[in-house]
Amino acid sequence: MAVNEMPGGQFLLAKLDDVARWAQSSSVWPLTMGLACCAIEMMTATAAEYDIARFGSEVFRASPRQADLMIVSGRVAQKMAPVVRRLWEQMADPKWVISMGACASSGGVFDNYAVVQGVDTIVPVDVYVPGCPPTPDGLLYAVNLIQQQIRQGGRGGILARA
Amino acid sequence: MIEDATPAAHGLEIVDAGDGRMIVSMGPQHPSTHGVLQVVTELDGEIVTKADPEIGYLHTGIEKSAENLFWTQASTVIERMDYLSPLSNACCYIMGVEKLLGIDGDVPMRAQHARVLLCELHRIASHCVWLGTGGIDLGAISGFFYAFDLRERILDLTELSGGARMHPNYLRIGGLRDDLPTGFLEKVDELIAMYYPRMRELRGLLQKNPILQDRMIDVGILEADDALAWGVTGPALRATGVPYDIRRAFPYSGYEQYEFDVVTRTEGDAYARFMVRLDEMDQSMRIVEQARKKLETPGPVMIADTKFAPPPKETIALSMEALIHHFKIVSESFRVPPGDVYQAIEGPRGELGYYIVSNGDNRPWRVRTRPPSMYNLQVLKKIAVGEYIADMVVMIGSLDPVFGEVDR
Amino acid sequence: MPSSQTPPAGATALDPTALRPDIADARILRVTPAEVRATLEGLKADGFALLADVGGADYPGREPRFDVVYHLVKLSAAARTLEAVGLPERVRVLCGVSEADPVVPTVSDLWPAADWAEREVFDLFGVRFAGHPDLRRIQLPADWEGYPLRKDYPLRGPARERTPRPSFALKSNVAAGTPASGRTAAALQRQIAAARGQTPKDGAE
Repeated sequence: MAVNEMPGGQFLLAKLDDVARWAQSSSVWPLTMGLACCAIEMMTATAAEYDIARFGSEVFRASPRQADLMIVSGRVAQKMAPVVRRLWEQMADPKWVISMGACASSGGVFDNYAVVQGVDTIVPVDVYVPGCPPTPDGLLYAVNLIQQQIRQGGRGGILARA
Repeated sequence: MIEDATPAAHGLEIVDAGDGRMIVSMGPQHPSTHGVLQVVTELDGEIVTKADPEIGYLHTGIEKSAENLFWTQASTVIERMDYLSPLSNACCYIMGVEKLLGIDGDVPMRAQHARVLLCELHRIASHCVWLGTGGIDLGAISGFFYAFDLRERILDLTELSGGARMHPNYLRIGGLRDDLPTGFLEKVDELIAMYYPRMRELRGLLQKNPILQDRMIDVGILEADDALAWGVTGPALRATGVPYDIRRAFPYSGYEQYEFDVVTRTEGDAYARFMVRLDEMDQSMRIVEQARKKLETPGPVMIADTKFAPPPKETIALSMEALIHHFKIVSESFRVPPGDVYQAIEGPRGELGYYIVSNGDNRPWRVRTRPPSMYNLQVLKKIAVGEYIADMVVMIGSLDPVFGEVDR
Repeated sequence: MPSSQTPPAGATALDPTALRPDIADARILRVTPAEVRATLEGLKADGFALLADVGGADYPGREPRFDVVYHLVKLSAAARTLEAVGLPERVRVLCGVSEADPVVPTVSDLWPAADWAEREVFDLFGVRFAGHPDLRRIQLPADWEGYPLRKDYPLRGPARERTPRPSFALKSNVAAGTPASGRTAAALQRQIAAARGQTPKDGAE
């Protein structure tokens, strides 16, 4: 007999779901996608004063295959846009994207030929963080929002597309 | 979604030279390239036979944006070039515009001392990032936390004076936006007090560390004449023995009044560059201490000429002239007489210069940046040949490029 | 961005480099593409070992249209003391390049520093450097069309030149035509009354 046919089986599966989501949200590992100034504030968020590790983002993975979260931190140049897209495609599901800073969210101060006017034209974004650059607190809040999204069941990137 | 993954589909063909060489692309997404750099390396086993850095992955069109903004607005985008020491970029550009306006002699001394203090603090902050990330590249991760904590204290000061941790837009043409707040000098004292013990800790962790020395000594050797031929300036040049420092060679902003040493080494390898930057941080702190003393005397921080300096906010409600000046400066900006100027400062990476051309309008005609990181990075083509691929990361770190400046 | 009241950017000086303001930043030399190599070789032989920068500029109202600007510093690799470095001399060589024949001889064999700098001038202005070992785009993708830092290239690029600039006034959570609820006005009345020390008006809660 399958688990969901057993007495109390549905309850067990629901509880397992919660456990799985809690585990996922407690260990969201970002990809090192540092582009410009926001990358420095992202690095500061990993440093001692802001310490993103206490939220479970203990390590930043360089390989997209091993990362859950892409933090696009900085202006996306036209030359870099296909690279960002390819990295996002290489990430395994479930994956989430934070667009950190004004430049990643909308082009920021650079409304010109060279900057992609918002990384959401290339990849689906789950959380936008305003600021130029946002303080590391802002980034931590965005990570918290991602964790909330995970716990509430959205798989991110697929459901949260604009 | 995944395209045809064969080389032919991408217009490439496999060429077998038959001698076992391999072409490996490092980047543009790589944990240790200090930003978006792609180095296309040709390897013979593990030895690099050719290194071709590919830049432009952060090309932002800052120079074109600056041509479409007012003189005062342009410093906001220019600050975002070398994002590890934003005030240095702004300081250099602003001094160039002051020269074109002919007011460079009228900038109050207090503003100049504050510029020196903040630029030196940003030099230390930039070197903190270099030190922290350089350590991470080698696996020395603890140093990152210590260095970034020191940087936090400096960013606190930047936020206190300018309002933002990075890119405060605090320096203005003619002086500063407003005076340093109360309590600023006391916080500088706190920073000075915590700096020396922290540097002892960092030096203790890294300077005599046998692993670091093994990985850095005799790696990426650069000779002095090659350095000059390749346009290398800053700590990378001073590590070859040539004491070229703009603060001494073309003094600006009152640097003649400060006592500090120009640190040089002669070996020209990555360890020499490492030591030059560490000692340079101490020299910068020496300047900070002197500037802090000079800032004890109060005074104006902006030139008195209301054509360039927005009037104090309190006067706008009371004086018609003040209101009109404020309106004109904000909505139309002032015009800068036609001409061209080249202004250089000693940035954390070397000679940061701006070639600014005005055609008499209220916007810059051309702002050409002399990017020290671009020339420093270019020399990688030379020093990487014959080194191991594992040392590529050490060499890039020792040249300390910032891609906001390389690509602009 | 500048407001709509700004006077249009006028060509108030067609050749700003011809006007020498009273700034002692460098010795200025103006040369033609035919003379530039000889001039720079002479400067190098004279001790200008540091080519600080090669940049470009565009003056569309002027003939020749482009300027390639070389910045040199008189510095010797043998200098080992501050006194030996001293107060070096700076030279700025301005080479006018016409639009009809935008070619300048390269100096990357004299100073390897010029390699990338000349590629960047080519990339952003379209000036070619004869004899350059590898003249291709450096900042922009290889298939980019146009030379962005030319004055006739639109700031936002040809694709977006005529699209409207983002207007934050157009974006709102509230659909257009929704009547006001009155809550904001009521709250404001309460605030003003409280600031004046009065009791709130009847009907407001």
